[in-house]
Amino acid sequence: MADPKYAALFLAESREHLRSCNDLLLEWERKPGASEPVNGLFRAIHNMKGMAATLGYSAVADLAHRSENVLDAVRSGRASGTPELIQLLFKSVDALEKAVEGAQSGKGEPSAKLLAALDKAAVAAGGEKVPAEASPTGAAGSPAPGGNPGGGAPGAAARLPARAPAVPAGHLVGVTIRSGVPMRGARALLALRRVEVFGKITALRPPVVALEREDFDGRFSFHLRTGTETAAIEAAIRSAGDVERVAFDADVAVETEGPVVAARQIRIDLHRLDTMMKLVGELVVARNRMLELMRGGDAEQAELAGNVSRLVSDLQTQVVAARMTPVSEVFDRFPRLVRDLGRDLGKQIRFEMEGGSIELDRSILDELGDPLLHLIRNAADHGLESPQDRQATGKPPEGKILLSAVRERRTVAIRVTDDGRGIDRDAVLAKAKRDGLADPAADTLTDDVLLRVLARPGFSTAQQVSGISGRGVGVEVAFARARSMGGSLEVQSEAGRGTTFTMRVPLTLAIVRALLAQAGEERYAVPLAYVAETVEFDPQAVTVLRTREAVVVRDRVIPTVHLRDLVSAKAEGVPPRRPTIILEVGERRTALVVDGLLGQQDIVIEPFDAPRGLPPYVGGATILADGAPALILDAAALV
Amino acid sequence: MSNTVLVCDDAIFMRTMIGDILTQAGFEIVGEAESGLQAVQKYRELKPDLVTMDIVMPDMGGIEAVREICKQDPDAKILMCSAMGQQALVVEAIQAGAKDFVVKPFQPSRVLEAVQRVLG
Repeated sequence: MADPKYAALFLAESREHLRSCNDLLLEWERKPGASEPVNGLFRAIHNMKGMAATLGYSAVADLAHRSENVLDAVRSGRASGTPELIQLLFKSVDALEKAVEGAQSGKGEPSAKLLAALDKAAVAAGGEKVPAEASPTGAAGSPAPGGNPGGGAPGAAARLPARAPAVPAGHLVGVTIRSGVPMRGARALLALRRVEVFGKITALRPPVVALEREDFDGRFSFHLRTGTETAAIEAAIRSAGDVERVAFDADVAVETEGPVVAARQIRIDLHRLDTMMKLVGELVVARNRMLELMRGGDAEQAELAGNVSRLVSDLQTQVVAARMTPVSEVFDRFPRLVRDLGRDLGKQIRFEMEGGSIELDRSILDELGDPLLHLIRNAADHGLESPQDRQATGKPPEGKILLSAVRERRTVAIRVTDDGRGIDRDAVLAKAKRDGLADPAADTLTDDVLLRVLARPGFSTAQQVSGISGRGVGVEVAFARARSMGGSLEVQSEAGRGTTFTMRVPLTLAIVRALLAQAGEERYAVPLAYVAETVEFDPQAVTVLRTREAVVVRDRVIPTVHLRDLVSAKAEGVPPRRPTIILEVGERRTALVVDGLLGQQDIVIEPFDAPRGLPPYVGGATILADGAPALILDAAALV
Repeated sequence: MSNTVLVCDDAIFMRTMIGDILTQAGFEIVGEAESGLQAVQKYRELKPDLVTMDIVMPDMGGIEAVREICKQDPDAKILMCSAMGQQALVVEAIQAGAKDFVVKPFQPSRVLEAVQRVLG
């Protein structure tokens, strides 16, 4: 049996290679004559073959070897990137993925049909057929006894940047920030902002997090997809200040090859990070408790408490930072999915992604895949029209789906936008009235109500509602998932113009900064991510918005919610002065009137299996510094 | 005509110092703000060519003020004034739309360099 350490490395590496394989195949499909994607694919698959052979995963190695033969034929000009050939390789990458995932249990053998098709393609190109007796292990070089393998070793293959070869048009830019000046990372980010007007920035090394944390030696490089001349790019970069050197293309490659960037990364088992996060969470609670107990101690105690407190905060920041992962990890699987969806549905779809470098806590990222999958499927299936229908209404035949991430305060908004037909509000409204979900007298459906209707379990099973059937399932999943993470889901839809779903999620789970509020005897925590500001409740400013009480704050009419009423606190003892927390979720605001504010605190969200019948405004529970439990209010449910 | 500047900082000391550096270099200080909220209001009234913005201020911090000002005027030229160790906040301010930054303690030459870059 393979050493579990190598098996895990193999799995992690192979997944990365497979992901880049899908990207490269998509690129190849767009540019069938290009050689970079073919070379990249060859390298990725060759690396997987080497690792698999070393570990004795013959199914993977065999399949990789046969795929490699086909690619080699293309590389040497004996075959060309026909749609059939590329499709065959898509299938073979899918099969490789199955084989990789099942390698350890000996499952995931590729179908004989696929193997035959690969051989046929290789033979047709005059290449080598895999001789029946030649084991793929042989092809990759025999592993040395004792397990220290040769060229294809996990260690050696592991460090190769999988996506380096695929360089699109534009420039590789290397920048050095002068040494000895403060905040070189912020300076670097400023330079990046100056050039992003010219085109898309990719392959940023070191990554944004490192720049944000000042964790680099003043040198960074990136690829800029642009037609702008280097002189203009250089001038823009220099305008950020403190720039010592700007280099382009060939001049850069030498610098970034240095060990500075590469050697600073290690792999960590996610499980360890989870455990660390949990421990830090407990530490934060203990710290809060300690500060509470040591209040009123002597100066020495106070200093010690302050030190420990600061260290815990720093530790927390570091652990959270270590868990931050770019959303592209999840986004990158969708181009392939949309391509396949387009083929299956007979639609032409242009799929675009923005904000892939925005980072989220790994645990949140892991939760995003499913709901996004549903929303994108809905957009492709129900949102976008057929090419004929689109042309009939004067639209280009190619529909567009945009997947984007934007950082907003301490949350990230992830949007799935299509330019399709929009949701048929009349049909939804009629159905909602029949089911008693909407006021029978209503003649329009607001986006809010629309979402509530769409997100109802089983709503979509009604077949009569044309144009939206099937939507409900995905929306329900996305809605529930966003809420369970303390986020929200919004929908905007315009007939004939398209639909946008916005999932808003916090940057990180587990530990959040919260404002503590009091109502009656109880204390409640409001996550700071959704607090726009706090103001004094001014009875003079009370007005009525439609049928609801509202207050005017800075010329804006904001509906009020009294926490006392919400939680049915006893009416006696209403304090004369009452603070008001202005909650903000997306564009919507609510003024939450409370009895008192008790300051801010880092709270650890305790796992909370919501019992049925729990009020919707409760988003979780936590233990406060003095050891007492408190409920966490769900801002999204209040606005 | 000389460029107009709005100086935002809750400390009189800092406002005076920045004011002196800029006045000596020929700028005209048209207003001062002691809080983010004031900064937003004064920006609206004065429409200065340049804003210097402290990060930590009462009643809406500097970053929030940058966000508000840039919402009203995406071309606003804002220079952040940061203390050592506020790297993360500076990054946030840049993302919010600040055009450049200087780090305290100020060296007049570096402040002026940054100002020239922002107005450049």
